[in-house]
Amino acid sequence: MTVAFFLNEKTPYVGDTSNVLLDWLIIIGGFTLLLGVVSILRVSAQAIQRKKEGWPFKIATIASVLVMAIPSLLPVSWSPLFGRFEGSIYDWVFVNLQAPMMATMFATLAFYIASAAFRAFRARTAEATLLLLTATIVMFWRVPIGEAFLNLFPGDLPYFINKFIMNGANLAVQRGIIIGAALGAAALSLRIILGIERTYMGRG
Amino acid sequence: MSFWKKFNDMDRRWVYLMVAVTVIIPFLIPMKFPVSVSPEARNFFNAVDSLPDSSVVMLVFDYYPSTIAECEPMAIAGAYHLFKKHCKIITLSNIPYGGPSMAESVTRRIAAELGKEYGKDFVNLGYKYGYVSVLKGMGVSIESIFPTDNRGTPLSELPLMNTVKNYEQVKFVFEIADNATADYWVSIVNAGYGVPMGVGCTAVMAPKFYAFYGAGQIVGLLGGMKGAAEYEILLEKPGTAFRGMDIQSLVHFLIIGLVIMGNIGYFVTKRGKRKTL
Amino acid sequence: MNLGRRILTSKSFATLALSFSLLSEAALAQEEFSVFRSDRINALITVTLFSAAVLLYTRWAKQGKPLFLRKIAGLDAVEEAVGRATEMGRPVLYIPGIDDLDQIDTIAGISILGRVAQITAQYETPLMVPVRYPLVLAAGQELVEQAYILAGKKEQYDRDTVRYVAGEQFSFTATVSGYMMRERPATNIYMGAFFAESLLLAETGNAAGSIQIAGTARPEQLPFFIAACDYTLMGEELYAASAYLSHEPIMMGGLKGQDLMKIIIIVLIIMGVVLASFGWGESGTVFKSWFQAV
Repeated sequence: MTVAFFLNEKTPYVGDTSNVLLDWLIIIGGFTLLLGVVSILRVSAQAIQRKKEGWPFKIATIASVLVMAIPSLLPVSWSPLFGRFEGSIYDWVFVNLQAPMMATMFATLAFYIASAAFRAFRARTAEATLLLLTATIVMFWRVPIGEAFLNLFPGDLPYFINKFIMNGANLAVQRGIIIGAALGAAALSLRIILGIERTYMGRG
Repeated sequence: MSFWKKFNDMDRRWVYLMVAVTVIIPFLIPMKFPVSVSPEARNFFNAVDSLPDSSVVMLVFDYYPSTIAECEPMAIAGAYHLFKKHCKIITLSNIPYGGPSMAESVTRRIAAELGKEYGKDFVNLGYKYGYVSVLKGMGVSIESIFPTDNRGTPLSELPLMNTVKNYEQVKFVFEIADNATADYWVSIVNAGYGVPMGVGCTAVMAPKFYAFYGAGQIVGLLGGMKGAAEYEILLEKPGTAFRGMDIQSLVHFLIIGLVIMGNIGYFVTKRGKRKTL
Repeated sequence: MNLGRRILTSKSFATLALSFSLLSEAALAQEEFSVFRSDRINALITVTLFSAAVLLYTRWAKQGKPLFLRKIAGLDAVEEAVGRATEMGRPVLYIPGIDDLDQIDTIAGISILGRVAQITAQYETPLMVPVRYPLVLAAGQELVEQAYILAGKKEQYDRDTVRYVAGEQFSFTATVSGYMMRERPATNIYMGAFFAESLLLAETGNAAGSIQIAGTARPEQLPFFIAACDYTLMGEELYAASAYLSHEPIMMGGLKGQDLMKIIIIVLIIMGVVLASFGWGESGTVFKSWFQAV
């Protein structure tokens, strides 16, 4: 794949081999999804069998998997309740149960960020003070009423914040982290490919 | 114990209660604060607006249902804008948890409103595992990765897909994401194939994408619910994001207030301790 | 380099050159196009330079050349944090990220797990490792077992140390948060890829009174970890952690090679800034064209 990146896609063998490998990746990846389903069913069944802590909830887990999976795999021609599209059991459970539950969990972040900000944003050191001031200014800038408040001060503060904080300092720092992380990932990948790094396999 | 010490040691559940009350108030008393438009959102809008009619655009639903509040308004506004411009939309998703379902729900709803026909004006390709393989594979042939659409119809039976082989026929990518797949769209599709793209993302991810915006790799950026509200304003079709800005404004003010008071309390109690010593 | 390796290397180069010429001939027989993508030559030079730097420093490290690594507070604190857990008689919670094993962040997280598991095995501190994917479960179980064997504590290894919790992000988060509030681990270590649940986990851990060490290469999650955790590893520090904790010269050599590449990038950025500040001119335009993608 690395060699194929630098060669023309029309090159005989190279382009075709590259496409075949991509198809293989997708096919093998599909099986890992199946592995996840089998794994959760196995772990839950074992927990129920051994009456481990919280085993009634494992019954709910298995029931949820079966209620969503089985109707969605059956052909739509048998009943409009089957399949994955509008009007099916799968779609109803997704729209009315799964999506709201996922959105609810994500929404709890609002509460957590408020308590984290209240606890952590203290002007203990110069750096912490800078973090606190920048966060406050950006929080003002990001909402309409805050922007209106900033416009009360002389000068175009919202423009200043956008240009010099978001498109200035923030942009520079993000680039630094992205470049550093990318180099780190590339170096780790190279070490794994060459067999230098084998700690993830349990060998020192 | 002084007021400030009690305030600083306040149980976090009082903070949760304050946030809950602040979120509920705008539902009862809508405030409709005016939303100004950032240059990033305006550039995004202008890039879509300047597309020739009947351009093929990929509208990508790369967000989980958990971020529906931030991302779906962008998707709705984007689909509406593209359909109004008579663009041909190809939707797909790299997210297994409901991406194709959300794409179906949004595009079919807007299509019905604007009289657009499935197969001719828009197609939903669905989901395939392995986003890197999918993105690279579509550069050669979309049909090799998605032989059928989300409902199992072969692409050869869809008139729109007869004119689109790979990225060369795609004029713009409207990517809406709440995870790292947006990075891969930029590094594989934009950097590798030169397809112009704009990114709509959650507010948490937006600071990262300023780096790509600054480098010109993305033509515009919609950050969180504010970004979605800005796009709705530009479209002159205020929706859920615009209404959500009332709530976001008040909660931001609450958090700023708590931070300021917390710091006042910190300095007062610190000075109190020094005096005692 | 011994004679055998020289012959092998030159044979490989000859085979590669012959393959390219055969491919070119086959390609030209069909239609005229260039086999090599000259628009990607900048990427090729970068990849070659980077690989050479990493391999060269690794080689020097093998030869015994001393290499300096700056202190990373978060990693130095790991052993101390595990010691704290031992004294308090409470477990250590380790989360190797919530992404799959094919992601480099997860591999980094799993590598660090091996080191942490050795320390917990030595101190006989209970360890809990919840995972989100079956492949991570399999890798984690093997790694932790190996760590206990290396520490000579095989009989204390519990297979349920690494356990599959849930496949969905917030189901995983809810389960782990529940565990934190019930078991009150003394130390929470988050190393790998994290998304929206980062703040949920870190705040819950804080509420439970745990000391927390986090490391992620996702820039958008760093602010949450910095606000809620005691120590945070940023970006490449996560990838360097395995080499840092092992102190193996070969792995540290790779880090030095990476740093050389960073210096080259910094110099190029400074050159670009100077050229852009004083007007690009002809040389500036050529300089810019070197870094065009596509």
